[in-house]
Parts: sequence; C-alpha cells; structure tokens
Amino acid sequence: MNAGFLFFIQLVVSGIALGCLYALIAIGFVLILKATDIMNFAQGEVIMLSAFICYFLVTTFHIPFLAAVLLTGIAAGLMGIVTERLILRPMLGEPVFAVVMVTIGLSIFLRSMAGILFGHNNLVFPSPFPREAVKMGGIVLSQTEIWIMLSSLVLVTVFFLFFKYSRMGLAMRGTADDQDVALLMGISVKQVFALIWAVSFATAAASGVFLANVMVINLGLSSVAISAFPAIILGGLESIPGAIIGGLAIGIIENLAGGYLDQVIGGGVKDVTPFVVLFLVLMIRPYGLFGKKEIERV
Amino acid sequence: MAIRSKTFHESYREDIKLFETIWIKFWIGLFLVVLSVLPLIGDPYIVYLINLSCIATIAALGLNILTGFTGQISLGHAAFFAIGAYSTAIIADRLEVPFWICLPASGVLAACAGLLVGVPCLRLKGLYLAMATMSFGVVVEFVVITWENVTKGVRGMSVPTLSLLGFSLDSNNKLYYFLIVLTALAIIAATNLMRTRVGRAFIAIRDRDIAAEVIGVNLTQYKVMAFVISSFYAGVAGGLYAYVMEYIHPEHFTFLLSVQYLAMIIVGGLGSILGSVFGAVFITVIPEFIKALAQFLTLLFPVLQDKYDDGWNIAAFGLLIILFLIFEPKGLSGVWMRIKTCFKNWPYTY
Amino acid sequence: MEFKKMKRVLIAIALICLVVSPALAERGVTKDTIKLGLILVKTGPVAALGLPDGHGMVDYMRYLNDQGGVHGRKVEVIWEDDEFQAPKSVAALKKLIHRDKVLSLITTGGSNQTIANMKTINKYRISNIPNALMREFFDPYQPYIFAMGATYECQYQCIVDYIFDDMKAEKPRIGVLYAKKEYGKIGLKAIRERAKAYGVDLVSELVLPTGAVDASSQVLTLQKNRVDYVITCDVLPPVISFLKTAEKYSYKPKAVFGFNWATDDMIVKACGKGAENYIGVNFVGGWGDDSPGMKLVRDIAKAYGRDPKSLGLTSLYIHGVGASYLFGEAFKRAGKDLNPDSLKAAFETFQDVDTGGIFPPLTYTDKSHAPPEMVKLFKADVPNKRLVSITDWRTPKKID
Repeated sequence: MNAGFLFFIQLVVSGIALGCLYALIAIGFVLILKATDIMNFAQGEVIMLSAFICYFLVTTFHIPFLAAVLLTGIAAGLMGIVTERLILRPMLGEPVFAVVMVTIGLSIFLRSMAGILFGHNNLVFPSPFPREAVKMGGIVLSQTEIWIMLSSLVLVTVFFLFFKYSRMGLAMRGTADDQDVALLMGISVKQVFALIWAVSFATAAASGVFLANVMVINLGLSSVAISAFPAIILGGLESIPGAIIGGLAIGIIENLAGGYLDQVIGGGVKDVTPFVVLFLVLMIRPYGLFGKKEIERV
Repeated sequence: MAIRSKTFHESYREDIKLFETIWIKFWIGLFLVVLSVLPLIGDPYIVYLINLSCIATIAALGLNILTGFTGQISLGHAAFFAIGAYSTAIIADRLEVPFWICLPASGVLAACAGLLVGVPCLRLKGLYLAMATMSFGVVVEFVVITWENVTKGVRGMSVPTLSLLGFSLDSNNKLYYFLIVLTALAIIAATNLMRTRVGRAFIAIRDRDIAAEVIGVNLTQYKVMAFVISSFYAGVAGGLYAYVMEYIHPEHFTFLLSVQYLAMIIVGGLGSILGSVFGAVFITVIPEFIKALAQFLTLLFPVLQDKYDDGWNIAAFGLLIILFLIFEPKGLSGVWMRIKTCFKNWPYTY
Repeated sequence: MEFKKMKRVLIAIALICLVVSPALAERGVTKDTIKLGLILVKTGPVAALGLPDGHGMVDYMRYLNDQGGVHGRKVEVIWEDDEFQAPKSVAALKKLIHRDKVLSLITTGGSNQTIANMKTINKYRISNIPNALMREFFDPYQPYIFAMGATYECQYQCIVDYIFDDMKAEKPRIGVLYAKKEYGKIGLKAIRERAKAYGVDLVSELVLPTGAVDASSQVLTLQKNRVDYVITCDVLPPVISFLKTAEKYSYKPKAVFGFNWATDDMIVKACGKGAENYIGVNFVGGWGDDSPGMKLVRDIAKAYGRDPKSLGLTSLYIHGVGASYLFGEAFKRAGKDLNPDSLKAAFETFQDVDTGGIFPPLTYTDKSHAPPEMVKLFKADVPNKRLVSITDWRTPKKID
C-alpha cells in the first residue's frame, strides 16, 4: 500500500474510534431529547463526574476495573433518577426555556461540586488495557480504541434490542411519540422519564470511563460534550441511528481536517471544521440528516 | 367624583403608555437620583460592577428581543458582542475616530453580521437554530484568533480611552454616567419598539409563526429584522465593554458568555424588558454577593478559614438558579409582577 | 420646570464626581500587620495551575510569620478567585484595593488578567509579579511589574540551542505542536526564527488544542513527515495526550521538548515509559534538587501539610514559594517605613539576589524589571517518576 493512502486510512480508522466516543456522548443527549424534549446541558458534567468516580473506585478503593465501570454506571444511573425526581419533575409543564436553564444551573453546580469533592489536579487513569498497539496491515489501533469501538457496538446493539423488543423500551418509544396517548395506554410516563434519565446518565458514564482512558482527567473534561454537539445535530436531534452516524462522521471529518487542512490552511482547523460542516448541513437540511421533519399544514 | 381604586385603562393609547401612573414616574425618578449619587458613596468596586451590569443589560435586551420576544433561540450572542468589541477597538485604534462614530459603527457591523446569520437561519427552529448560531460563535472565535493582522489574535488588543466632549473618561467612575445614560436609552428604545407594529409582529411570530404569517406578518422580513436589531444591541454592548475593560482578548468571548446571556434573560424573564435588566444585574452581581457573604461567614467562624473551598460559591450560584427556576419559572420579572400586584391590590391581596 | 432643576442638580453631582479623585491613603500596613492580596484562579479547569501556585505563596508567608514576621509585622494574605476571567479579575483587584485596602498584590494572575488590570496597577502602585512570561511586561519598562521567569522566547531558544549544541543534531527535522494561545504563538515564532538562524526550516507546524480528545492526526502527520525533534508549546494535559498517542503509534522522535508550564514531574507520572524522551525547560529548580532553596521549599511543604503527591503541579508550588520569597525579601529591605513606593524601591535594590536555587539569581533596577533569562533543562527519570535537571542555569547563546 502506498504511504499516502495508508496515511488516509489510518486517519479514517482513528477517526472512527474518536467518532464512537462522540456517538456515545451524542446518544446520551438524544435519549433525553427524544423522550422529554430537553437539551440537557449538564451531560458533560455527568461525563466528567463519572470519569472521576471510576478513577477513585479503581485507585483509592482498589476495585477491579470492570466492577468499577459497573458501579460507575449504577452511580450515574442513580444520579439520573435523583436529578429527574428532584429537579426536572417539578418543572414538568413549564416552558422549555426554563427547563433548559435548570440544566445549565445543574451543570454549574455539578462542575463546582466535582472540584470540591475530587480536587483540581490532573489525574491519569491507570488504564487496564495493555499499552501495546495492534497492527493490522500497517494500520495501528491501540487496544483502548478497539475496546471503545467494541463496547460502543455492544451498547448500541443493546439499545436497539431494548427499544425494539422490551416492554419498557416500547413504553419509552411510545412516550417519546406522544405523551398523552402513552398516558391513555396505561404507560407510567413518570417511570419512563426516570428511567430515561437513568439510562442517559449511564451512557454518559460509559463515555466518561472511555474518555478517562484516553485523556487526562480534570474538570475540563466536561467541555468534550460541546465537541459532540455537531454530532447530535448532524444526525438529527431525535434519532439514535442518526447520533451514531453523526458521531462517526464528525470523528472522521475532524481527523481528516487535522491531517490535511491543518498543514495547508494552518491554525487549528481541526476544531472548527465540525461546526462549519454542521452549519452547512443545517442550511440544506434544517432538521439534520435523520431528524423528524415536522409537517405543517396551514 | 369617581375615586380610582386601581389603574383602569380607558383607551388603547392608555394601555400602551410608557409610564402608567404618576407613581411609576416617581419611583423611576427616585431610582435615577440614587444611581446618580452612588459613585459618591460607593467605592470603585461597586461602580465597576454596575458598569458591567449596564453592559450586560444592553446585551441581554438584544438577546431578549430575539429570543424572548421573537422566539428565536440564539447561542451565538457572544459572537455579535465580540464583533462589536473588536470593531470598536479596531476603529478607535486605527482610525482614531471619536466614540460617537465608533459605537454606532460597531453596532452596525454587528448588525450586518446578524443579517448574514439571520438569512440562512430562516428555516431553522428551536435547538437546530441554537446550534447553528453556536457554530457561528465558534467560527467567529476562530476568525478573531486567526486574523492576527487585524485583531492581534491571542495577544489581545488595547482599546484607547473614550473621550466625550473633550473630557477623557479614563476611569470607571467617569464612564459610569455615560453607561447609565446609554442603558436608559437602550431600555426606552426597546420598550418603545415593543409597542409598535414591529414589536407586535415579533410576539406574533413567537406565539405561532404560521398564524402570524396568515394575518399578514412577513416572516422573512421580521425574523431577519429581529436578528439585526438583536445583534445591533450586542454590538453596542460589545463596544462599551471594550471601552470599560480597555483590553480585549478572544478568551473574553467564548461560548460560555453566550450561555451566560441566555441565563440572564431566562432568569430575568423571557419577553420582558424589565426582566432583561433584572437578569443582567442578577447574573453579574450575585456571584460577587455570594463571595462577600462567604468571606463574611469565614470571618464569623474562623474555623472555616483554611478549609473553605471557593467552589462552594459557584455551587451556591448554580443551586440558586435551579431553585429559583423551580419555584418561579417565569423568572425575576414574574416575582416582580407578583410583588407589584400585591402592593397594587392592597389590602385586598390574596 | 422641576425637571430642569433636577437636571441641574444631577449635572452638579456628576461634575463633583468627576472632580473628586479617589483619596490615596496609606493602604494595608499597620504597626503589626501587612495586608497582601493575591488573585489566582481557584475554581474550574484552570485551577490545577492556580491552586498549587497560590498555596506556595500563602505557605511561604505563613513560614515567614512563624519565623517572627518582617520587622515585627505579620503578613496577612487575602486570596481572591477570578475563575480565570478578565472581568472578574478586574473586579477582584478593585475589591482588594478599595475594600480590603491591601498594600500590594503578590500576583494578579496570568497575562490576560494582568494586562486588563494594568491601569489600576499603575494608578494604585501595586508592585506585583505576574504569572506570565511576555516581553510586554518589562519591555518597555512597567514601573510596578516585576517580571520573574525566562520569557517564552528565551525558553525556546534554549531548546533549539540544546538540539544543535548538546544533542549535536545534523540537519534535524524539527516539528512544532502549539496551542492557539499567547505562549503557543510566541513559542512557534521563536522556534521558527531560532531554527532559521541555525539554517534549518521547520518541517511541521501543527495545532494541538488544549482540550484535545486525541492527538492521532497530529502524531500521524509528524510521523509521515519523519520529524525527529518535536517541540511542544502547550500546557500539560495536551502534552500528556500527545505523548500517550505517540507511544500508541510507536512514534519515537529523538526528543520531545516542552516549556515551563509543561515541565513537571506530573508528566513522567502520567506517561511512564511514554515520557522517556521528554526534555523540559523551566526557570524554577527541580523538586529533588540538592540546593538550599529547594530544601526550604520541601521543608515548607512538609511543615504546612502539603503532600507532594496530592499537591498537583509541584513546579508551580515551587514558583509560588519563590514569588513570596521575593516579596519577603523586599519587605525586609523596605524596612519599617513600608508603603507602595518604598516597596517598589526595595525591589529595585535587588542585586543578584540568591534564592538558593529556587529561581536563578535576579536583579532589578529602577530602569529595568527584566527577569533573568535563564533556564534549566530537565530530563525524565522514568523509574523514579520525576524529572531531573541535566544542566545548570543557562542562557540562549549569542548567534550573529
């Protein structure tokens, strides 16, 4: 294989690994959006908190990695239920703006609580994955990345099956479609909402744990959620497959821009490109690639 | 002789009057007097906070016109603010023209940017619009950092001192009156705007855009107009910010600033002029207030002195926003309305 | 008519306000105390830098007080958090001056905040040591800014010198990773010019964002361009990300360099073997250095319960102690009659002040507050998880 082509493939492959992370983060957002129409601005803080929790479970309490991940997921899920019950339930029926603002308030609160509880030092996660990278025909992938991709795949499949076949999943989809009808059909919308928040926070926890493995853990971790915004919009706000494709697309685009454009145009095009792409996509399709097209009859 | 027990409106003109009763005039007058003597009593620290609040008020008014009145969510307000600030800095620095050219010019430049964003965003709604405006913010930040010949990039720019009729307003106490007057003008202009056809068209678009179009509101024209007016306000506020801070840097205008403006109008009250003022003051002053309170507490309980983590200040601020919105989703203007009716209807309050 | 009257009163009030200038009473010094301010970020993502620095400053002042204070006065430090935002920093400085009435500030924070505060600093004669290493702070002369720490230019010149002189590189392929911040831009320019002076052009100039999730595209590009000396102009977290990613792609340049904000034991703790080829420069001594100054730093940390393991960035703690040390020295020299002017004058008597290895020896005069342009180079000691100095203080060499 010629070197230029290999370079391209390598960029794409590591872009996919990055995209899986974005997709996971995006799914966390989309779950809540789909069911409750709320953009949860505190999602990034949940990601960051989970990373910290997992870190301390592994280092201070010497819990094996897998168990720690499970515990982190449960902790995040509980946090989701508590958030829903204490903060968002009272806001039911209030204007969307007020609810969004509450999540912004929550993000401020959680970020400073993280600082108080876990300190401000840069922490490095003792990665359980071996350091040796895997080589396949000249393409290099770290074991962490392979695990990220595999776990994302598993998670997505689980979600798919859950929403397609399980009773609760169907109830969730029903609620997302029409709350009133769902209520009439005997679905406990309150329960569904609590569960949605729990599942979404647990997904955030999964992405937090993976991020902890590739990045330095500090309070800045929460801003990664902002880099996932283009993925959410690109896929369309209410579509889980959309979030996945959006995430992957943004990951690849970001890496390609970094690999090719940065040298030519210079100066951090890597970070801006996703937003430019997002803007252009919205001009052509105002509801993202897979979003619900609202039909208005006048 | 009829005794008026309450304010009744007998004509449409009366209904849309700027100052409803003589008492409102009185209170506003009293408030202005207090404001005007404040720099004599308060120290520069308080004056500076009021200056910041004034700037925030003007910017928040702009965002409220777009988001609160017209219903178009923007997460890119900081970008227009930045364009205003940089325009003022560049025009004042390079062309050495006085402020009365600089400020309107930066407003107009920001408004042009608003036009540039407003037109392609016509078809977008809700969160999609929020994200599109946010990407605009990211792009502006990138341009400001990269276009070094003009903006000096990450080195930041110094801004010449504002001079008014030969006086150089080189301190915050001197800028104070200038800012108060401009803020008052901005408030009056916004209030007046909302009483006109344009304002009513904005509100109609917010409430139901299709219905608005049916009754003859030109959606395209008014949506773009809302964008333009909003960014004009942001641009002027940005220019003032440049004068007050005397130094601007791309890091001053991040996404977080946009979120902060959104917070101001939501906490203050969407679609309320008074709400923008309340919200701006609240978000600017409350963190300092909490800090002072915390310092007072550590003086009271010296045990806390070494253990106290400043993170609590910010946590308290976040919690305050949450609790506040849970108990009063209409924001500060909702509280204000309730207090007002309470007094108005006294002793028959229920 | 009434309105007219009111207007007249208002104008009169306004004029009085314009005329009355703030009274300049003696601030912050009593018979037995000195009030000193400090603005450094305590909360948020940047607090990792602000906290250890501030702790160092506070701890040294405590140490000074426990030794009996200076001329019978105890030093009281008031630390304000600015959340790394210029508007809040300006507010904090106004509060410290007018509310707390401090004599001066140890530091007003980073470059952004210090420049925003410059006018107030000059007006109220606040002698301070900014945490920023830009030329603007001493060239041209700023009367109340006492710059400490080699400029970014100097640091990067020393790095390039090291590549050519000590590593004896022949036609090295140098690549730069920089952040889009002051230090990144200044660093990039300095490296480019220095390399040019040696007759070499840079092979790659890539941006490494501060919040980068991964550095794959950067590493791959460097690898493709066969860069064998990487110079980073970025803070710790992204440099760690880079080293880890480089290890993943088994990209092994001959050396990876970093400047003072990324020269900390943390980097070896974080990357382990990945940091093998890491070389950093700094203008403070290393934590393990065998010098009286560094022993003092270690003793102070121990005395006030700062465990180097949980302290965070030890290099910043050292910086903090050093900055306070200079203030203590100035207080001693200013004598009994302490005020903003005598404090400034005291600083200006510094002549090769020896901090015992915390900082290089430094000199301030009434014409120049330039920092000593000297740095040490450090190399990773992977088994002991720390950086060890491999050179003494050195300056960039003269190139014609």
